[in-house]
Amino acid sequence: MAERKVVLEGKELTKDFKGLRANENVSFKLFESEILGLIGPNGAGKTTLVNMISGALSITSGDVIYNGRSIKGLKPYQIGRLGLIRTYQIVKPFPGMSVLENISVGAMFGSKDKVYNSKESKEKAEEIAVFVGLSDLKNQRADQLNIASKKRLEIAKALAARPKVVLFDEVMAGLNPKEIDSAVHLIKKIRDTGISIIVIEHVMRAIKAISDRIFVLHHGVKIAEGEPDDVLNDEEVIKAYLGKRYKQLVS
Amino acid sequence: MKGTLIGFALIIIIGVLVPFTAGNFAIRLATDIVIFAILASSWNIIGGYTGYASFGNIVFFGVGAYATAVLMSKAGLGFYPALILSGLIAGLYGFAIGFPILRLKGHYFAIATLGLAEATKALVQNLGLTEGNSGMYLPMPEMGIDASYMFFYFNALGILLILLVIMYFILNTKLGYGFVAIREDEDAADSIGINTTIFKSISFGLSGLFTGMAGSVYAYQQGFIKPEPVFIVTKTVKMIVMAVFGGVGSLFGPVIGAVSIELIANYLSEHFLVIHTIFFGTIIILAVIFAPKGIMDIITARKKIGLSYFLENIRKNRV
Repeated sequence: MAERKVVLEGKELTKDFKGLRANENVSFKLFESEILGLIGPNGAGKTTLVNMISGALSITSGDVIYNGRSIKGLKPYQIGRLGLIRTYQIVKPFPGMSVLENISVGAMFGSKDKVYNSKESKEKAEEIAVFVGLSDLKNQRADQLNIASKKRLEIAKALAARPKVVLFDEVMAGLNPKEIDSAVHLIKKIRDTGISIIVIEHVMRAIKAISDRIFVLHHGVKIAEGEPDDVLNDEEVIKAYLGKRYKQLVS
Repeated sequence: MKGTLIGFALIIIIGVLVPFTAGNFAIRLATDIVIFAILASSWNIIGGYTGYASFGNIVFFGVGAYATAVLMSKAGLGFYPALILSGLIAGLYGFAIGFPILRLKGHYFAIATLGLAEATKALVQNLGLTEGNSGMYLPMPEMGIDASYMFFYFNALGILLILLVIMYFILNTKLGYGFVAIREDEDAADSIGINTTIFKSISFGLSGLFTGMAGSVYAYQQGFIKPEPVFIVTKTVKMIVMAVFGGVGSLFGPVIGAVSIELIANYLSEHFLVIHTIFFGTIIILAVIFAPKGIMDIITARKKIGLSYFLENIRKNRV
């Protein structure tokens, strides 16, 4: 593989909650136009890692380099303005707003590279609603959507913010297989527009289909990293996360 | 859009007709109602649109009233310069104090604002500039009695209309979307790139600006103000009740709330002098149970009206 540009890099990230060490010396690199899968058992520290990157939690030690500069210590909105956008595991749409308004807010704010006024934002939101397949529901209130559409709205909102990097925290959890397939398709389509993506997911089918590389957290420590096939056959990963039956299932 | 135009038209038509069809007593009542409509609508900016329930908004009323008293009687300014400056002073006060106290949420924010109002009152009671507890006189308006009733009424009405027009435009800008996004989910608003601290402070400042202007008109109308009545907590409660009764987070809801609550309260106190507060309290309780989103919701969602609408509301808001 030729030299690819690193857009986001975690350097020995550590997070302590009082006595509990949630992340320990986690390092990773995200290349341009890459989908990096992040997996691990419940409580492995995946969301903690996302929270540190996005500025929602302070970093105990280590550093985050985004586009060649450290973003450690910046506030969440400042990181968002730089084009590093995250979604939430427990979806956080603006419930009282319509789907279109939700996406418009993403377009109105978001990355400061290209700033839209409120009218342009609404036009942009229409485009994105079509792109993610929410145009039929665009006038619905966000809290009336089903979970699949809510997750889709999270993706749309993030996309509207013109990100260079998106962190998708379990945008496929709770979806049925058909919905997962279309979400996988959508995320690949987003990657093809030049956006780099970190996907946190439990759904193995999806993570295998989607990721260019995968890294695995267990008890806050990175235990494996690499191509999906290699990682998913790794003895330690199987022991810690996938379980013995997974191997039987695969073979 | 169409509804908004109808709303503005109704306020202007009714607002202009009232003083020409009624006597001075009614004009005075109408002035009180309009001032309360300003207070409730201002509270709606921070409490309704931005989602921070301020229990100390009366502080801006008091600051506006005292700023006008000082500017007119000590600095010798005319009413209009004093009105605008008082609004700005109250607005800046809200903007600046917003930075520390809008870090708090929910009950904590409510208590902090309550404390803010009490602390500011204590300050006014002890400053030489505001002449402490003895109160301050303002210059008398140089006009006849009838003219002065009209003067105060139309000034109040003008401020209310300016407030509503400004809010109407703000709601369609980034600022307005930012307010609502913060109310709906502050963390999500933050991570999408909204500087929530600034937005919240602007919201509190705007709320303070118009509340302060209402205080300014009130002070000039009264001719004499004291700390206790212009910083009274029950007025904050009243503006919140009005906003909720009419419909929080809607442009005209608080206006409808102010008009209906004042008219109901007035009617009850005329007919049931001794026990009118019992009836009044009952009406508020029923309103909150059956139409928690306010009268505005009943008007705009009229298709749904009926028993099922009320039952749905009860189910939704049951603990």
